[in-house]
Amino acid sequence: MDVFLPWRQPSWRVGRRRMRLPADFRWLLAAFVLLYVLNEANGQKKGSPRDLTCTTNNLQVWDCTWKAPVGTGHGTIYKVCIEDRLRSCHQIEKANIKIPALSPGDHEITINSLHDFESSLSTFILNEKNVSLIPDTPEILNLSADFSTSTLHLEWTDKGSGLPHHSHVVWEIKVMRKDSMELVELVTYNTTLNGRDVVHRWSWASDMPLECAAHHVSIRCYIDSPHFSGPKEWSNWSPVKSISWTPDSQTKVFPQDNVILVGSDITFCCLSQEKVLVAQIGSKNCPLIHLDGENVAIKIHNISVSEDSGTNVIFTTEESIYGTVIFAGYPPDVPQKLNCETHDLEKIVCSWNPGRPTALVGPRSTNYILFESFSGKYVTFKNAEVPTNESYLVSFEMIPNQEIYNFTLNAHNPLGQSESTIVVNITEKVFPHPPTSFRVKDINSKAVTLFWRLSGNFAKINLLCQIKINKANSKQELRNVTIKGLKNSSYRVAVDKLNPYTVYTFRIRCSSETYWKWSKWSSEKQHLTTEAIPSKGPDTWREWSSDGKNLIIYWKPLSINEANGKILSYNVSCSSDEETQSLSEIPDPQHKAEIRLDKNDYIISVVAKNSVGSSPPSKIASMEIPNDGLRVEQVVGMGRRILLSWHPDPNMTCDYVIKWCNSSRSEPCLMDWKKVPFNSTEAIIESDQFRPGIRYRFFLYGCRNQGYQLLRSIVGYIEELAPIVAPNFTVEDTSADSILVKWEDIPVEELRGFLRGYLFYFEKGERDTSKVRGLESGRSDIKVKNITDISQKTLRIADLQGKTSYHLVLRAYTDGGLGPEKSMFVVTKENSVGLIIAILIPVAVAVIIGVVTSILCYRKREWETVLLRHWK
Amino acid sequence: MDLRAGDSWGMLACLCTVLWHLPAVPALNRTGDPGPGPSIQKTYDLTRYLEHQLRSLAGTYLNYLGPPFNEPDFNPPRLGAETLPRATVNLEVWRSLNDKLRLTQNYEAYSHLLCYLRGLNRQAATAELRRSLAHFCTSLQGLLGSIAGVMAALGYPLPQPLPGTEPIWSPGPAPSDFLQKMDDFWLLKELQTWLWRSAKDFNRLKKKMQPPAAAVTLHLEAHGF
Repeated sequence: MDVFLPWRQPSWRVGRRRMRLPADFRWLLAAFVLLYVLNEANGQKKGSPRDLTCTTNNLQVWDCTWKAPVGTGHGTIYKVCIEDRLRSCHQIEKANIKIPALSPGDHEITINSLHDFESSLSTFILNEKNVSLIPDTPEILNLSADFSTSTLHLEWTDKGSGLPHHSHVVWEIKVMRKDSMELVELVTYNTTLNGRDVVHRWSWASDMPLECAAHHVSIRCYIDSPHFSGPKEWSNWSPVKSISWTPDSQTKVFPQDNVILVGSDITFCCLSQEKVLVAQIGSKNCPLIHLDGENVAIKIHNISVSEDSGTNVIFTTEESIYGTVIFAGYPPDVPQKLNCETHDLEKIVCSWNPGRPTALVGPRSTNYILFESFSGKYVTFKNAEVPTNESYLVSFEMIPNQEIYNFTLNAHNPLGQSESTIVVNITEKVFPHPPTSFRVKDINSKAVTLFWRLSGNFAKINLLCQIKINKANSKQELRNVTIKGLKNSSYRVAVDKLNPYTVYTFRIRCSSETYWKWSKWSSEKQHLTTEAIPSKGPDTWREWSSDGKNLIIYWKPLSINEANGKILSYNVSCSSDEETQSLSEIPDPQHKAEIRLDKNDYIISVVAKNSVGSSPPSKIASMEIPNDGLRVEQVVGMGRRILLSWHPDPNMTCDYVIKWCNSSRSEPCLMDWKKVPFNSTEAIIESDQFRPGIRYRFFLYGCRNQGYQLLRSIVGYIEELAPIVAPNFTVEDTSADSILVKWEDIPVEELRGFLRGYLFYFEKGERDTSKVRGLESGRSDIKVKNITDISQKTLRIADLQGKTSYHLVLRAYTDGGLGPEKSMFVVTKENSVGLIIAILIPVAVAVIIGVVTSILCYRKREWETVLLRHWK
Repeated sequence: MDLRAGDSWGMLACLCTVLWHLPAVPALNRTGDPGPGPSIQKTYDLTRYLEHQLRSLAGTYLNYLGPPFNEPDFNPPRLGAETLPRATVNLEVWRSLNDKLRLTQNYEAYSHLLCYLRGLNRQAATAELRRSLAHFCTSLQGLLGSIAGVMAALGYPLPQPLPGTEPIWSPGPAPSDFLQKMDDFWLLKELQTWLWRSAKDFNRLKKKMQPPAAAVTLHLEAHGF
C-alpha cells in the first residue's frame, strides 16, 4: 500500500459528526482532516493502530490492513468494530481483516488493540471511495505458436464468475522477444464480464518468424466497474509464458518456401552455431540483425516480384551455406472475359483470360474452380505452366434438361482469391464444330443436294446453316438455310438455281438459329453440274468470198453459260425459197463453214449441239443491200477500245452489226464482229487482238428486212504511234539559192497512225559536223518548215547561199509522235553575179584612192609655193 | 565450378581426337576385325558432345534457379545431394581401376544421373526448359547405351541393381525448395565432372585397345575444373 498516492489514502475523521457538504468541498475537507488526524496520531496516539488501508479484488470483500501500534507485536489482539446498519465486532490476532463490502457512504471502524493488558483505540472512517479495486493477477492458460504462419495464440480466463456483471475489463498484453526480453508488442484487449469464467483468445502475427528467437508473453488487467466509486488499478503482470523453436537438423533459415505479396516487408533469420558472414537476397547483400547467440536476421522491405523458381535468400558462414526460397507474387486477378459456350450441347466450354500474371508457377500457381450454382457441380483447372497470353479453357459436362447455367469461376492461390460470374442460356451460346463428311449429289442440271455431318446433340434447337457457293469468274454467293437440329446426325439441303455444266465450289458452316457464332467452314467440295441443252444459238455472221460464189458462214463459240455443256458439233443450213443446203456435224473447234450458193436470198441457220441436245437455231440473211456514196471516216480509240456512234435509223428493224479487220488484210477480211440491238446508237468495240499502231477497218451494218446494208466504213487505230520509218526524199533541183525536195508516202503499216504532217529541217553544214550536232530544239541556225498539208509531196527551199553545203532532214509525224529522220547534204550552185561584184568593188576602191591621192599631192605643191613667197 | 560455354580447348581437343582416330574408322582401315575400338571411340566422341551440350543446358538451368546459383564464382559446399554418384576419385585409385570396373562405374553413374535428370525435368516450370532437359536426357540415354555396347564388346556383363536397392538412389523431393535447388546445382556439377572423367576413361581405354605400334599418346588438357 506504500505506492498509494496521497489522495487515495483513506480519509477518516474523529468523532461522529458528519457534515453534509458538496462533493468537491468534501474532498478538500477530507484532505484537511486527514492531515490533522495524522498529526494527532503521530503526536498524541502513537500507541494505537494506524494507517488503515483497504483494497478489493472482486468488489464483494474488502481486505483491510493497518499498522500495529508501536511496540506491539506477537500476541496483540485486535477488536475491530464496524459501524454499519448493524454494529459488528470481530476479534482477531492479525492486523488484517476481510470484511464484506460496505454500502456506499462513511462507516466508522474502531480498532482496539489489546497487548499486555494495555489497550489503545483507533477510530477510522471508511468509505468505498477509499477502497482500491486491484484485480487478481491474471494467469495465462495457454500460449501456443503456429510456426508456419508465425502466429502466437494466447488463452486466458477472466474469472468473471467472481466479479460483478457487465464490468468492462481492459487487458494489456505484452510480447517480448529474445532472451533479453525486448518488448516488441504492447496491445490492449477489451472484454466485458458476464458473470461466468470466460476463456479469451488472442492471436498475434509476428513480423519475424517465431523460429528466429524466443518469444515471451505476459498480461495484466484493469476492471472498469461502473458501480464502484473507489480507485481502480492495474493488476500485476502475469507470469511470463515463452515459446521457443526446437531446432531440427535440416532447417536453418526461416521462413521456408513462403509465398508473399509483392511489395511486402519480410524478415528472414538464420539459426546458426557459427558466425554468419554474409546474407544476401538474390545477388544483393543485406545488413545483419543479430539475435540470440550467432543467430541473425535480415529485413527485406518492399520485396520485388520473384522469377519462376523463386527468390533465393542465402546466409553464408565460414563452413557452410544456408538458404531459403521466397516466392513474391500477386493474388489472382479477377478472371477476365469469362465466356461459356458449347460446341455440341453436350459439354460447355468456358474460357477466360487470367489477367495480370501472379508470378507464381508450379504448385503455387492459381487454381480455378468453375462452379455451377443450380446443379451444384464444379470442375477444376490448374495451369502449372508459366502463363502465356492464351486464354484458359475448361470443359463442363452439361446437365440434362438444364438450359440456364449460373457459373462462378473462383481463382485462388496462396495469396488470395477472386472470382467472376456469368449466367448463360446455353441454347443461345452454340458454336458448332465444323461440319464434316461434306459431299454433293446432283438433282438435275440446275440443282444439287448437299450432305454433311454435325456432331452434337442439337435435337432441341434449329440450326442456321450458311452455304458458300463459288464459281469461276463469278461473285461469291451465300445462302442461308434453317434446318431442324438432330443428334449426331447427317443433314441434307437442296441447292437450286445453279447453272448447268458449271463447276461450283461449295462450303458450309452452321450456327444455332438464335445466332451466336458460326462454326468454321467445312472443307470445300468442287462439283460439276450436269449438262442441259444450249440455251441459244451461236452468234453468226456471213461474208461472201472474194469471187462472190461462196458464202462463208462464221459463228462464235457459245459462252459457258449459254452452252450448258460441252459443245460437240454444229449444224449449218442455208434455205431459200427454192432449196436448202445443209452441213451437219461440224465438229466444235471449227467455227466457220463455206457453202457455194447462187445469188438468191438465203436464210442461214446455225445450231450448236451438246450431249443433251441442240440449241435453238441462230439465223441470219445472206442478202446485202447496196449503199453507194460512203466515205471512209477516221477514228482513234481510247485505251484499247473504240467508240462508234451513229444516228438512229428507223428503217433498221433488226440488229446492227459492226465487223472489223486489219486494214492490211485482203478481202474478205474478218477479225470479229459485234451485234448490237436495233435501237442502239453507239457501240464500244473492244478486242484483245487490237494492237496499238495497227490500222483497222470497221464496217457498220444495219439490218433491214432480213438483209444487211453497209452504213459506214471507218478506219482507225486504238492508239496511234509515231511512224517507224522516215519518208524517202530526193533533191529534184538545186540552184545557187534554192533546193527543190521531193518525198514519197510512207506505207500504212509503217506509218502507225494517221499522218498529220512533215517536219523539214535545213541548216548549213558539212557532213561530219552536222551529224554530231543533231537537231536539238532551240538552235537558231536550224530552220524548220512544218508541212501540214499531207498531200504535199515537194518543197522548194529558197534564199540559200550559193556554193554552200546544206544539211536537210525530213521527218513525218502522227498524233502518236515524230518518226525517225532522214537526212541529206546538198551543196548549192555557184552565184556568178556575186563573183563579179566581188572583183569590181576592190578595183573601184583602188581607183578612187589613187585619184584622191593625186589631187592631194597637187594641192600641196601649190601651198608650198605661196608660203615661200610670203616669207621672202 | 565452371559451367560456362566457350571451352575452346575442349572443342580443339575433340577435333584433334576425331582427326587422330580417322585411321581407326572401319571404312578407312580394312585390316581385319576392328574390335571394340570404334565403339570406344564413338563413346568418347559422344561424351565430348554431351560435355558441350551440358554447358548450354547448365547455363539455362542455372539462370532459371536464379542468383546466386548462376553467378560464376558461386561455389557452395556440398549440402544434401549425398546420393549423387561422386565422380571425384583419388588419382591412384583411378589409375588402378581395371577396364571392367571403370566401365561399370561409368554405367552405374549415368544410370543414376539419368534418373535424377528425369526428376529435374518433371519439376521444371517452363516448357522450354523441359524440352532442353528431355533432349539432354535422350543424349545421355544414348551414352548409356553406348557404354553398354562397349561393355558387351569387351564381354563384361551389365551391372544389375540388387533387388530392393533401386529406390535408394531414386530421387525424392528435397525438404525445401532451397535444398532442391542445391541438389539441382550439384547434379549439374556432378554430371559435368562425370563427363570429364568419362572422357579420360574412354581415352585411356581407347589407347589400351590400340595396337602398340600405333600407340601415340595424345595429351588432352581439360580446363575449367
